[in-house]
Amino acid sequence: MNIQVYVIRRLLYTIPIILGACGIIFILFNLVSPDPTLIMLGKHASAKQMAELREALGLNRSYWLQYLDIVKSAFTFDFGRSWATKQEITSMIKQGAIPSLTLTFPGFFLSTVISICVSLFVSFYRGTFLDRGVVFICVTMMSVSSLAYILFGQWFFAYKLGWFEISGYESGFPDFVPYVLLPVLIWLMLTIGPDVRFYRTIMLDEIYQDYVRTARSKGLNEKVIMFKHVLKNAMIPIITYTVIQIPFLILGALLLENFFGIPGLGGITLNAVNSSDFPVIRAMTILSALALIVFNLISDVLYTVVDPRVRLK
Amino acid sequence: MKRRTFTLLSLLLAFALSFSSCTKKQVTNEKVLNLAVSSKVKGLDPIYSNDLYSSSEVARVYEGLLEYHYLKRPYTLKPNLAAAMPEVSKDGLTYTFKILKGVMFQDDKAFPNGKGRELTAEDFVYSIKRLADPKLQGLGWWLLDGKIAGLDAWRKSNAAKDKVDYSEKVEGLQALDRYTLQFKLAKAFPQFLYSLAMPFTYATAKEVVDHYGAEFLNHPVGTGPFVLPEFNQSLKIVYTKNPTFRKKLYPSDASEEFKAIGMLEDAGKPLPLVDKIIVNIIVESQPRWLNFNKGKIDYMTIPKDNFDAAIPSGKNLSGDLKEKGISLLISPSLDVTYTAFNHDLDLFKGNTKLRQAMSLAYNVDKSNELFYNNQALPAQSAVPPGIAGHIVGYQNPYRGHGKAEELALAKKLLLEAGYPGGKGLPEITYDCPSSTVSRQIGEYFKKQMAQIGIKIKVMTNPWPELQKKITKRQVMLYGIAWGADYPDAENFLQLLFGPNKAPGANGSGYNNPEMNRLFTVAALLQDTPERTALYEKMTRIAAEEVPWVFGVHRQSFVLSHGWLKNYVATDFEAGQATYLNVNTKKKTELSEKL
Amino acid sequence: MSNATTSNSPVALNTEPNKTVHKSKSLWSHAFSTLSRDPWALTSLIIVGIYALTALLSALGFVAADWAAEVGPSYAAPSLDHWFGLDIFGRSVLAKTIKGTEVAMSVGLVAGLISMVIGVTLGALAGYFGGKVDEVIVWFYTTFSSIPYIILIVAISFIRGEKGLMTVFLALGLTGWVTLCRLIRAEVIRHKNREYVHAAAAIGGGDFRKLFIHILPNVMHIVIINFSLQFQVAIKSEVILSYLGLGVQGRPSWGTMIDDAKLELAREVWWQLGAATLAMMIVVLALNLLGDALRDALDPKLKGK
Repeated sequence: MNIQVYVIRRLLYTIPIILGACGIIFILFNLVSPDPTLIMLGKHASAKQMAELREALGLNRSYWLQYLDIVKSAFTFDFGRSWATKQEITSMIKQGAIPSLTLTFPGFFLSTVISICVSLFVSFYRGTFLDRGVVFICVTMMSVSSLAYILFGQWFFAYKLGWFEISGYESGFPDFVPYVLLPVLIWLMLTIGPDVRFYRTIMLDEIYQDYVRTARSKGLNEKVIMFKHVLKNAMIPIITYTVIQIPFLILGALLLENFFGIPGLGGITLNAVNSSDFPVIRAMTILSALALIVFNLISDVLYTVVDPRVRLK
Repeated sequence: MKRRTFTLLSLLLAFALSFSSCTKKQVTNEKVLNLAVSSKVKGLDPIYSNDLYSSSEVARVYEGLLEYHYLKRPYTLKPNLAAAMPEVSKDGLTYTFKILKGVMFQDDKAFPNGKGRELTAEDFVYSIKRLADPKLQGLGWWLLDGKIAGLDAWRKSNAAKDKVDYSEKVEGLQALDRYTLQFKLAKAFPQFLYSLAMPFTYATAKEVVDHYGAEFLNHPVGTGPFVLPEFNQSLKIVYTKNPTFRKKLYPSDASEEFKAIGMLEDAGKPLPLVDKIIVNIIVESQPRWLNFNKGKIDYMTIPKDNFDAAIPSGKNLSGDLKEKGISLLISPSLDVTYTAFNHDLDLFKGNTKLRQAMSLAYNVDKSNELFYNNQALPAQSAVPPGIAGHIVGYQNPYRGHGKAEELALAKKLLLEAGYPGGKGLPEITYDCPSSTVSRQIGEYFKKQMAQIGIKIKVMTNPWPELQKKITKRQVMLYGIAWGADYPDAENFLQLLFGPNKAPGANGSGYNNPEMNRLFTVAALLQDTPERTALYEKMTRIAAEEVPWVFGVHRQSFVLSHGWLKNYVATDFEAGQATYLNVNTKKKTELSEKL
Repeated sequence: MSNATTSNSPVALNTEPNKTVHKSKSLWSHAFSTLSRDPWALTSLIIVGIYALTALLSALGFVAADWAAEVGPSYAAPSLDHWFGLDIFGRSVLAKTIKGTEVAMSVGLVAGLISMVIGVTLGALAGYFGGKVDEVIVWFYTTFSSIPYIILIVAISFIRGEKGLMTVFLALGLTGWVTLCRLIRAEVIRHKNREYVHAAAAIGGGDFRKLFIHILPNVMHIVIINFSLQFQVAIKSEVILSYLGLGVQGRPSWGTMIDDAKLELAREVWWQLGAATLAMMIVVLALNLLGDALRDALDPKLKGK
């Protein structure tokens, strides 16, 4: 199939997904979430003012009309204003996405690089004590709760030892760097484990392929085999795997953001959920669905580009 | 490979260390106030400032007609943008204000040539109409709802229009001339003046609102002591001193307790006393604590329920902290914690004895010790000390202190209520917010009730969920607190006023005809001995009828560093930063010890 | 944030078709002998067993029944009497940790089972029937997984008005099935055109018979591997739920213990965090290693390496 047609078809597929995601969210929050007017008016809510506010927010219109609004916003990207903060949602997302990315992207990048190096190393020494030891350490690292890392890291390394900033954020490079160092390190502790395990599996897959055996029988140096053949071929699944992770980076890391005072999207999402701020919840869902689909698509297309054996269907 | 990984890691570490070693030093001759707040700030629009955090921010830039005297207790109103306290007509319905002359709005590009213009009476008319604007749905409307003659009608008639007409005259809200403002009330509302000290009614300029439109909330322009060019929703807000701020001086009179601790040292100095305020929004308690300990925050309010978990060595600060110049300020706050019964349930409604038994079984002293380090005041009824209506020395006969005879009486009452040893009672749910301490308080309540055989199930809820449950009457018992909006017992007693039933403030749904009658009478009275007598009567009824299991009147706990000057705790924080001062020399000195 | 990585299971990307067909019996017996020869796997199994036993004993009231008792001063540091110190109410942190095993193991088990049932059912239906059924199911899980995790989990907890263990089960169970569903769907597609399935059809097996009697046992290894991983993800996620205020009520859990620590560390009380983290780390580690060993033993593709 022609790749353009494929891409267009896949992009069209985002429509039912977004409609569905918004539908699920709409139903969930309309049926069960606390009344947003009650939350907004707080301790002085009166039945009269709640009714007025419901009218003003458009909550008295039919469900169908309200749902149409969502559909519209998914295509125009005009999400309106938050009910809770009255801020424009597009600007909230813009303000939040960058801090989130300054934390998650370096974490993601370093984790990928380090994990690939480590997994190449352990698959070279596969089956030895070294291999088992490194894998064991990786698994141990990922077995500790993220909250425990954050609490301990902040208290011990930032406060007791004074190696890092305790919390805070400055926008603009390089001002933000000192503030994201510790969160990025914690991110690494959490992600290197699963990454190494995954990359190691991929590399072992490659190592046992026939071509490697052939190369080895030709008397090629094991190191050359690792870099020239194994790494090159393993790159295909590695690239697709990393691309799929990108949408999660945009949405930020809630716990790290809250504890380290990084004004990212994770905190915005949590605030929205806690105050039944439906326009924001809706915007975050649309954003997330779009990002997920687009990057999945990129990953699939990349796959076909680097590996002609795979056919698009 | 290994070497490469290692190099990478060490590079990273070197990078880290080089950055942390060259953290910026503050310029010492500039006085900077570093504050921490625990919740995100929505924006700086007075009419939406219905939470503590937004209203504190609003009050740095905007000002109102009145304010609470910074150094007087009990709380006393004094003029701020008003030239003097208003003239009140004999019937108590007409309030006439003279406005200060020569007060300028902060410079902003919304004004011609970017220069702020003079504040006039018309600005207040506009700002208060804006609070009533049906399209904007200001969150402080409850304050004036039904209070000002003609304003409700204006709100109602404009709701149907496409555009709200601000030029339409409202009878009870008029500028008689450039500096004279007159309010006419629809009915007696003795608490009216308090509402003019609240950020909801602070002065905004029409040009600015029109210029920025919906983005107005990010471009605050007021007459206040500090300027914030743009609020960009980050977690750090930096205000600078307003260069065109009028001449306002630090007060020269104070209550005795403040005189004694040297609060008048800065008397007569022009305000504000600092050049810059940095507000750090730190959501989690751990980083807030750690930053304070490092001196990056000048003072920190400890969550009221959090004292024991917070202060390492209890009531007194350990020598260690004292050496670092940190002091602890404990002062009473106008609030009450309580466990409310849902009076819609037949189980509690007519069942005064059951309620009394539960109240007796609850050892309030121990809870004070566990959660407030014995610093709170066990509540005898709803009204906290410091305002008229609180009866000094009054003991609630159904207040438990863990004594054997109280437990015996509780068991007897339970028997009389028809539930010997708790038999026949269903498992009673207790709902509370989901914070760690609320949960612990709930568990304590459960433990106390178990003593007389009542089974409690503690359920924690995210805050909106709890609100929803209370409004929808899906609760049996719930633990909650109320903080004063203004220093008047009416603000507390209305929580037990039948017609205020949920979704109003009376979440428990308590409805006692006698109480309702007394409240209706008292609500129209000015501050007189007669009104105080009515308040006290209600206080006693509330105590004996046990509509809630009363908790405590909490104290505010504030830890401050030695370089912070003029800090006094207040229940009405708006504008406080104007009076605070920083001793930069001391700061340099003490910072070395941290 | 762990969500970002755990939701992408490695197995999902194996695109090479599986060339060898194994009879299930020999696979399982082979797997068993592989496992019993692997000291890591055995140790892990024993550890998980000990935790399960502890949970059972505590549920029956044989151990840590008196966890709520006040045994000393508030926040007493670890000592010979109280190995892990005391909490704010002077309760033994050790007893709370042991009692917490109950919550952790039940959360892992029930949440794991819920996601297993949903994932296997939907995955098998989609894979076997294909066509419209497949399209709808694929659409559903793609949609579902595109909603941010936090939003979904809070919404699910709102559905259950009351908070508690059941809410935790549901929130974690209902959000954790997508990966397994994908895997099962792919595996079933692979299997349904195999000779043995055609043979079963020839002797007159209906669709459901073919699916449940013939195909599912052949994809069981994926279910088991995924279950052991989902189990530990659920245990870890309980902490996040506690942080969000949606956790377990009225009894100790490791999540609430770790969450409590955010008020304690600033006053140097580290033992509650330490005890809960350690307890959780050991069992999660064991489950992970067990999952790896199971994969090595059960996944025919990796066999013999």
